[in-house]
Amino acid sequence: MAGTETYTLNMGPQHPSTHGVLRVQLELDGENIISATPIMGYLHRGVEKMLENRTYVQGVPYTDRLDYVSSMNNNFGYCRAVEELAGIEVPERAEYIRVIVAELNRIASHLVFIGSLAIDLGASTGMLYTFRDREEILDLFNLVCGARMTFHYIRIGGVNRDVQPEFIEKTYKFLEHVPEFMEEYKKILLGNEIFMSRLKGISKLSQETALSHNMTGPNIRATGIPYDIRKVDGYSVYPKFDFNVVTGKNGDNWDRFNVRYNEIFESAKIVKQALDGLPEGPFMAKVPKVLRPPKGEVFSRTEGTRGELGFYIVSDGSTKPYRVHIRRPSFVNMQGLNDMCKGYLIGDSVAAFSAIDPLMGEVDC
Amino acid sequence: MENITVGAAAEWLRSLILYIIGNELLTDIVMKFVGLGACIAVILTAAIVLTYAERKVCAFMQVRLGPNRVGGRFGLLQPIADMLKLMSKEDIIPNGCDRVVWALSPMLLFVPSALIYGLFPFDEGAVFADVNVGVFLLLAISSQSVLPFLMGGYASNSKYAYIGGMRTVAQMLSYEAPMVFSLLGVVMITGSMRMNDIVAAQAENVWFIVLQPIAFIIYIITATAETNRTPFDLVEDESEIVAGPFAEYSGMRWALFFLAEYANLLSISILTTTFFLGGWHGPFLPGVVWFWLKVLLMVFVFMWFRWTFPRTRIDQMLSFSWKVLLPLALVNMMFTGIGVYVWRSMM
Amino acid sequence: MFGKGLITGMRVTLKHFFGKKATFCYPEEKLPMPERFRGGHLKLDYKKCIACQLCSMACPNGAIELKVVTDAQRKRHLTSYIHHMGRCMYCDLCIENCALHSLHWDQNYEISAYHREAFDYEVLTDSDREYLKQVMEAAAANPAPPIVPKKPVPPKPAEAAKPEKEGEKAEEKTETEGKPNE
Repeated sequence: MAGTETYTLNMGPQHPSTHGVLRVQLELDGENIISATPIMGYLHRGVEKMLENRTYVQGVPYTDRLDYVSSMNNNFGYCRAVEELAGIEVPERAEYIRVIVAELNRIASHLVFIGSLAIDLGASTGMLYTFRDREEILDLFNLVCGARMTFHYIRIGGVNRDVQPEFIEKTYKFLEHVPEFMEEYKKILLGNEIFMSRLKGISKLSQETALSHNMTGPNIRATGIPYDIRKVDGYSVYPKFDFNVVTGKNGDNWDRFNVRYNEIFESAKIVKQALDGLPEGPFMAKVPKVLRPPKGEVFSRTEGTRGELGFYIVSDGSTKPYRVHIRRPSFVNMQGLNDMCKGYLIGDSVAAFSAIDPLMGEVDC
Repeated sequence: MENITVGAAAEWLRSLILYIIGNELLTDIVMKFVGLGACIAVILTAAIVLTYAERKVCAFMQVRLGPNRVGGRFGLLQPIADMLKLMSKEDIIPNGCDRVVWALSPMLLFVPSALIYGLFPFDEGAVFADVNVGVFLLLAISSQSVLPFLMGGYASNSKYAYIGGMRTVAQMLSYEAPMVFSLLGVVMITGSMRMNDIVAAQAENVWFIVLQPIAFIIYIITATAETNRTPFDLVEDESEIVAGPFAEYSGMRWALFFLAEYANLLSISILTTTFFLGGWHGPFLPGVVWFWLKVLLMVFVFMWFRWTFPRTRIDQMLSFSWKVLLPLALVNMMFTGIGVYVWRSMM
Repeated sequence: MFGKGLITGMRVTLKHFFGKKATFCYPEEKLPMPERFRGGHLKLDYKKCIACQLCSMACPNGAIELKVVTDAQRKRHLTSYIHHMGRCMYCDLCIENCALHSLHWDQNYEISAYHREAFDYEVLTDSDREYLKQVMEAAAANPAPPIVPKKPVPPKPAEAAKPEKEGEKAEEKTETEGKPNE
């Protein structure tokens, strides 16, 4: 008697569209997905443990390697946590510079998202365009901190070096360029009917499901919950700026794409305001060369590019943290993968990975 | 200028060979081999030129420079380097594959894509086989390319390849139907299935792209699907099923797939030119120049599609074929029938 | 209308097909690196260096391996400065910690190599060694007076000429360095 049965397909760890070394076990019935199990850990480097074996200052460059597409935001998160622990007051100019670079990096990271989603859907030209424009941001970062990927620019107590006038000038120029290239993406991707039909109504998550998976960042905003720590906590100098929290309606891939697409404009708005209001003053607080925070523990969260980035640090009063735990948004967001893939086709699973926008460096930490 | 045609050149060559051999039958046999050689030469040259063209077109559309190392500033020798690389690669045979079927698949795929070149009218009198059921034969041969994909997918002993093979069957079968119906419009107007007659009919009146715009669009879409190019490249879909049936092939075996892909690209461009763009006809220049200009334009259009669009999903693609293209082609055919009837009764 | 977006997309790609390209022919055209660029090999101003080993201590990955001698005038000098580039994160901490600003990047980003050994980069040049030899000879010609022991624990004059163990040195440095700042 003939019967049908399901089969397992291992997508990854070596697969063109799993963004690194994610492995997804797909249980398939023909082309239909019955379940998708992400299997993580292929890129585990033990960053938390490494941070525990370095001094606080030495730990900062390791956070670059978590979410290597938006290193500034990681530096920001870690430094904020240590500052809170050690009670360091950061000068205002430093806070402004931090916000500028973090938001620029958010733009760069969202550009990578748009590009990688485009190439996962087969539009490799769209990806090349986003990477071309991301290059401008990387050049800005190269100018200000001397690196293009692993910046190590935001330090405990401020920033490494002051921004040059050239950087400010070039950033203004870049901001003028933003609407221009966004219009181009609109033409080639957003307005494209094939692109729309691949994303609309696919991988829908309800607000309850997204909340139960503890998703954060653009993924939860796509379901319509305006949860943005920049607004909720109002840390750093974010309350001084006027920006909107972009939300979606349906929680499908199209909304996830649109939330990030529109967040680029919001980030550009923040950068513009921060540049306009950049105060004079020191760019670095007085931090003892050997940092020994008092005994205690702290959990500090910031809005990373992919969601709520939290650093939990326990100090035992020595130069090294006793325990560091990182709440990595990509890792937590990955938990929704099964719900996003179930009942859709293989082609949608690729779109779903991309739409979560996981970064393996952060997922596996 | 009008007299310089490939047909005339062939006639001249034939008289030369006849003069040397002195036997009509033998001369015909020799001429057949010359024609065969010419077809193969066209395919191989096309593969070299088109890989280079594709890389350059792709690069230029993606604001890159493209190949610029091998062979001067413009990388003209890049396809040769690619070919040498493919030839020197290790021939990897996956574990547990069905050896015979696996080895046959790339060869069989190349056969139908090379075979249809015998039917193309490159210029006046330059048809290798001027069959009176040309269109029919052409569709029959080109539909054979489904099987090798399935064979490759099945024999590779890989799930990705298998999914790819299954997709090929679904895709090619469903796009075959609208393709045939769109071409039928052309055949109905011409009243003949001979390729030469189709071209001649366009020379007398207007190009069929004017008379049959809907059929042209349907044909372009289905041809893209038949050759597995973006937005319908679900067979080799590198972001989902890695490379589909090609996933397990390497070296020269993979090169044959590659060759067949470019042979197909060229052949659909030639078919578009023949059916809708008036074949070799055009003012001032020799026919063969016009022919290749039009063909290369069509090749560019197909490359342009590929480097602009994202790919569709399998269910969208199939429903698009059955729910949109096929009814449209049928309606088009009906109106063409009415038009032809009215035209004939008026004449 | 369905298809409008497709046509607009095709217009964009066609525009770029004829437009200016964003890439360069790399080895022929090189992009200038900004002044702050971190990358390449370390460059040491040997005459300034006092062999304080702060750079090596600041390195989170232990990518800097130093060998130090003390001359007859009890001044320390480097005999070897190995930059393990395979371990280096280019985080800039060594350069920022250099007390005398004698350490820099050479800003050369073409540092790929075929062999792993190439990543154990010796920073000191031959002229630096020549200089070291001269200094050592000059110091030997004019040795410093021996230290009069103040504490009950006597220093080890016999070991002064030998290269000292790094571990001991490093710990000693941390304490002396830590006090004035705190």
